[in-house]
Amino acid sequence: MHCPAYNDETPTDDQRVNAMELRINQKTYQVDADADTPLLWVIRDDLGMTGTKYGCGLAQCGACSVLVDGNVVRACVTPVAGVVGREVTTIEAIEADPVGKRVVAAWVEHQVAQCGYCQSGQVMAATALLKHTPAPSDEQISAAMVNLCRCGTYNAIHAAVHELAAQPAAKESV
Amino acid sequence: MKNSRLVTTTRWLALPCLVAAGLLAWYVTREVTSPFEQETPSPDQALIARGEYVARLSDCVACHSLPGKAPFAGGLEMATPLGAIHATNITPDRKNGIGSYSLADFDRAVRHGVAPGGRRLYPAMPYPSYAKLSDDDMRALYAFFMKGVQPSDQANIPSDIPWPLNLRWPIALWNGLFAADKPYAEKPTEDPLWNRGAYIVQGPGHCGSCHTPRGLAFNEKALDDSGEAFLAGALLDGWYAPSLRQDHNTGLGRWSEPEIVQFLKTGRNKHAVVYGSMTEAFNNSTQFMSDDDLGAIARYLKSLPGDPQRDGAPWQYQAMSAATRLDAPGAHSYVTRCASCHGLDGQGQAEWIPPLAGATSMLAKENASAINITLNGSQRVVAAGVPDAYRMPALREQMSDQEIAEVLSFVRTTWGNTGGAVDAKAVAKLREHTDPASSSPIVLHMR
Repeated sequence: MHCPAYNDETPTDDQRVNAMELRINQKTYQVDADADTPLLWVIRDDLGMTGTKYGCGLAQCGACSVLVDGNVVRACVTPVAGVVGREVTTIEAIEADPVGKRVVAAWVEHQVAQCGYCQSGQVMAATALLKHTPAPSDEQISAAMVNLCRCGTYNAIHAAVHELAAQPAAKESV
Repeated sequence: MKNSRLVTTTRWLALPCLVAAGLLAWYVTREVTSPFEQETPSPDQALIARGEYVARLSDCVACHSLPGKAPFAGGLEMATPLGAIHATNITPDRKNGIGSYSLADFDRAVRHGVAPGGRRLYPAMPYPSYAKLSDDDMRALYAFFMKGVQPSDQANIPSDIPWPLNLRWPIALWNGLFAADKPYAEKPTEDPLWNRGAYIVQGPGHCGSCHTPRGLAFNEKALDDSGEAFLAGALLDGWYAPSLRQDHNTGLGRWSEPEIVQFLKTGRNKHAVVYGSMTEAFNNSTQFMSDDDLGAIARYLKSLPGDPQRDGAPWQYQAMSAATRLDAPGAHSYVTRCASCHGLDGQGQAEWIPPLAGATSMLAKENASAINITLNGSQRVVAAGVPDAYRMPALREQMSDQEIAEVLSFVRTTWGNTGGAVDAKAVAKLREHTDPASSSPIVLHMR
């Protein structure tokens, strides 16, 4: 709380930057970043992939959701050093994944998006859920689909996910 | 006849009573002696710089400054059970600060809690610990406050403790019982590193002010390692300051010396991130300590034995994904609100986001810290001028007492954690006490 500058301390940031190699959407990127930089900053600011959105920065809203090794994580609270050697998937490449492709198709069919800001995160959350649990129960859906949407598209999200959950096999073979 | 006997008895009793009263009056108002009585200080730049470092070790700024105000001009409010008191202006201003203090006056205030004229300071000022400061460090500290700090004429705020509770003289008796009265004496059986660590921890660092349990008179139960209660963990200001002894679960038993150094230097390691009152101690004090001094502190703390009786069976991680236990009360909240940062497995993310599996706050019976940080979040941790990227959000507006009780009960009984269930009433109580708008908020910072 109190941080009076009675002796100005300058950051010693020359030692904080690390070169690292990231795997994102099946490609390899060279990145220079502090180990604790949020993955979201690297994806958007350093690599220019802006489909992943910044919402709250506190893991509260889910707009920044991406997949890491197939699990959904909130990129705003994921230190970039923690994803070295792991496979990151963002909304830009989600349709390369068969489950992701189905989710996007269902989103279009149900015309889920309104302003769309939260929707890349919503799609990532739904994809991760269905990859692990092709036919999730209502409780599993409610535990997984918790991203916030200020437009209130929850009903449309609910309809799309429940349709996907009800017809796992039929769509899987397409 | 009867009357005259009474008069005689009274006469006989009056003399010792008067003598006792006289002695008492002398004792509680006397100006204690200082070794600097005849000394004229001659500060140079090196001594002033050394004094600034001692001020960092002692974290003077934490209480004697307010954000956005002149450094050391005072003002921090501390609500004691008797009423509010305010930290004073300790800049070298002659009117409202300590500009007129001699080195001996300064010594009496810092090491003995006695202001010029014999008035006793409240022990919110940690002079029971500062008593252990060395003479050399006192000279340096005085040089810094006289020559290294800008004077400010900010007026002091009088305490609102009512008469007769505001009488200061009984504190002198308290001091006689509970305060150290000699500078730290090196233990010849230990090496210089250990002794340096003991000096900082017991003296300027005043770690015991928060981490040592207090007795009925609000006295620290031990002021050095001769007492088993020293740094054994204590509840204060709505936080549980954990044990700094070798307790496996609730202390530093699982921390290596380099990990202790890393924690005090960067605010985080793989076990924990600073939070609660420790954030201020880190932001203002420990990160400015030299690597040698941090190493000394680590060496000393690692030498304090734990107490398996108090600490319980050693914690062991039990792997489990919270997503597989959605039927358990609190698990749904954990998965949706906590797991993004702390992980479905409770293990956090390296040193950036702390684990909840094996965390002291989730193993200790005292649940104040777990509740408090869930309600109010963490403060900004600023290491080497850079604010941290990750912070615990305050959930007081988002979660009910019952929801917080359930999610904490889940965390405190999962992954081998043994803290136990949390009652919604305990959450409600701390919610009220930590609400700045409440009638009895916790603003006491007895550092």
